[in-house]
Amino acid sequence: MFHKDLGETGKRLFRDFPVLRMLWESGRKKGIAELVETVRRAEEFKRNYALPYALELDKRMEEEPEYFDWEIMRQACRYRFLSIFIPKQLGGSAGEFMVTNTSLLMDELCSGCSGMALAIGAHSLGVAPLVTSGAMGHWDRILGEIVEGERKMEPVTMAYAITEPSAGTDVEEPEFLEVAKLSLEARKVQGGYVLNGRKCFISGGSEAKYVTVCAALDKSRPLETWTTFLVERGMKGFSSPRVELKMGQRASHAAELLFEDVFVPDSHVLGYEGDGMANGILMIMAASRGPVGAIATGIARSAFEHFLRWAKTRRNGKRPIDEDRIRMNLADFWGMIQENRGLYMSNAMLGDSIFGKVLAAPVMVLTLSLPSFVRTNKVMNDFLNSRYGKAMVNAIMRYYIKDEDITQLLETASLAKFSCSDNAMELCSRALNLMGPDDSEERRWVEKAYRDAKLTQIYEGTNQLNRLVVNNVRFEETLKVEVPRPFKKGVVS
Amino acid sequence: MIAIPWFKESKQYAVLRSNAMNFAASELAPVADELENTVDSPAFWKVVEKAGSMGMLAALVPEKLGGEGVDPYSLCVALEECAVESAGFAAALLFHNAALVPLIYADKKELVEEFSSGRPLATTATAGKVDLEGERLRGKATFVFNVLEGCPVLLFPGSPAGHEVVYVKSDYPGVEAKKDPYPLGWRVSSFASLELAGAEPYFKLKEFQREAKLSTERALYLGLAAISVGIARKSFEKAYAYARQRYQGGKIIIEHQAMRMMLARMLCGIEEGKAAIRRACEVEELAPALIAWRRASNNACQAAMDGVQIHGGYGYMRDYGMERLMRDAKYCQMFPASEEEGLLRILEMVEERC
Repeated sequence: MFHKDLGETGKRLFRDFPVLRMLWESGRKKGIAELVETVRRAEEFKRNYALPYALELDKRMEEEPEYFDWEIMRQACRYRFLSIFIPKQLGGSAGEFMVTNTSLLMDELCSGCSGMALAIGAHSLGVAPLVTSGAMGHWDRILGEIVEGERKMEPVTMAYAITEPSAGTDVEEPEFLEVAKLSLEARKVQGGYVLNGRKCFISGGSEAKYVTVCAALDKSRPLETWTTFLVERGMKGFSSPRVELKMGQRASHAAELLFEDVFVPDSHVLGYEGDGMANGILMIMAASRGPVGAIATGIARSAFEHFLRWAKTRRNGKRPIDEDRIRMNLADFWGMIQENRGLYMSNAMLGDSIFGKVLAAPVMVLTLSLPSFVRTNKVMNDFLNSRYGKAMVNAIMRYYIKDEDITQLLETASLAKFSCSDNAMELCSRALNLMGPDDSEERRWVEKAYRDAKLTQIYEGTNQLNRLVVNNVRFEETLKVEVPRPFKKGVVS
Repeated sequence: MIAIPWFKESKQYAVLRSNAMNFAASELAPVADELENTVDSPAFWKVVEKAGSMGMLAALVPEKLGGEGVDPYSLCVALEECAVESAGFAAALLFHNAALVPLIYADKKELVEEFSSGRPLATTATAGKVDLEGERLRGKATFVFNVLEGCPVLLFPGSPAGHEVVYVKSDYPGVEAKKDPYPLGWRVSSFASLELAGAEPYFKLKEFQREAKLSTERALYLGLAAISVGIARKSFEKAYAYARQRYQGGKIIIEHQAMRMMLARMLCGIEEGKAAIRRACEVEELAPALIAWRRASNNACQAAMDGVQIHGGYGYMRDYGMERLMRDAKYCQMFPASEEEGLLRILEMVEERC
């Protein structure tokens, strides 16, 4: 396979991300070709669906906040975006560059419409705890259903629920969780747990069929008892009573989730009781905050691309780009975008060097190579959902994922998240200032980007929290993530 | 709510501020959300009527022409107080009052009476490009607020003779209003661009065109600076109140230094804006007004963004009222000109003086 086989998309990616070219030339051609193919499909989605429709949908959501356009998810099925985080052996496309693939996809989709991208990305965020916790007992059933739904263009989606009405920042940092005022509580009963309380601002929560939910077993000891559960739509007492009208990224709902005596069986605990902070939060944040940086970068690119088109359009006999003030800023903007890409790519590459090894581990390859009916056989399934099955996956994870690696990943992810989102916000704001009171379609796009960008400074931990994480990991060394061990919960110190 | 310290005004302005504050709290605040969601609502006209009875519909026009005859600083005080509750309403009042400024130079009492009757409001269209060819207007005026049927629109079209000052009615033949129901900010009044294809002016100023244009612009920039201060104040009030009741990390968030830094920055921004407005009102020149606008609007944008950040997810949601301030503040910054155009203009004005 030659460089030119990657087409225009490959040419652009190699120019924008020289590290990809370097990897290609050092022999990792298959993985790079897959990345290029993902971005090529995202470009097509952007061109054929997002750009023609995003502004219209944004207005519609203003009038009908409860409306959800399932066509977004059907298009996501068409382009195979719903299985981006699902291992290849199970029919998805997650391979050696799983995190990089997700980051590049988010960057490209958000340069079209970040609301639509969030609807797709929030689903992958929901899938992540199922994959990273190694809950293999559920993989065939749920991940298989997602892949099958994607094939049939009948989307099945997941969501990830951690934020509570009185605890946003608090549930994303161990020190804060210890003193959090929580709403949701899980009580141990015979054969499972009963969940009571509320979650709020859950992206995609009102549409998801499966939700990964973090809850304390004892609200007075939240850090010690924080546990990740798999909740399914249709479980008695589980509902999503309302969605919010957001300032931006409207195509995806932020939903409230209500739990009224919801019974969740033992088999639906992801990881172990009490390992929720390491397993359900920090490992996910380490893998997902980088892609949030990519989301912010995509939004910045959207503003940049529309601003550039505006700058090159002749109006009243002159082009804005002929003025120094525009040219100077255009160069600044491009610098910000490339700075962002450097940050999120270094996180993504580190993520792939960590998680890629697990998926390529001989035991994992062997297990995943077994015919599906063997894994879903009751005996095998019970084993995978049991303490011993989980211990096997944990042992593999601990062998390949080192505590210091995942801690470093969390640091780079938090750094990418707050830097990229701050840059995106500044770029959108400055672009609007430069355009001034201009009546053009491009200004409306940049206004949308301005509204959209603000959310990236808030979700996945506010930028203040992310700065604190960088400080605690890098300078004070007070935050260390320990990968869950067999028969022991993950420890956070 | 926390009282903002240090800023002392003379008794005349203190009384005016108190009246405007009462008006904003009693008339505007209860309907602020309704005004934001429904343009041209009965509630809007009720508040306009009340504003008219307080002299806010011809504030800058001398009493002999039927106006209130107040100085620009008084108008700034009123607009700032209104903007605390509804920046969109304050902007509607500003565009109306600015539109009446050239009538002072025209000495036209009957036009003042007609335009300030209260319905529809007049408006000022400074953006876009409009030319006066012969006696016909051609081109496009952009970012025009208050556009309702029969609304008098003040324009500064270019012509071979230099800049002109004319009024046109929005329902005149040759005028087409293209409305946008969802502008980023200031949603209280109707937002549109006006396409002019040979429309005839309703009134054209015969002399003092340059002075009238500069005075109108000065009123606009000062007014926008005042609205910006109002937005920054509201952002601070909401963020401060929220920070005192929201609990995260084991304490109320106002006890986190990162939050205190943001709040302190907001406070400084408010004071800087107020000081710049007061200084700009002391001299009858455009450049200080531009400087005040730039300072106050930049600070308001930062304050509103920080306010949303302090509120976290709640700040991003419509129901909690914080995101509206961020959207409104942005229009204060990018209107009536881009920030860089404003900056270059300041240098030009100083060069002209030299």
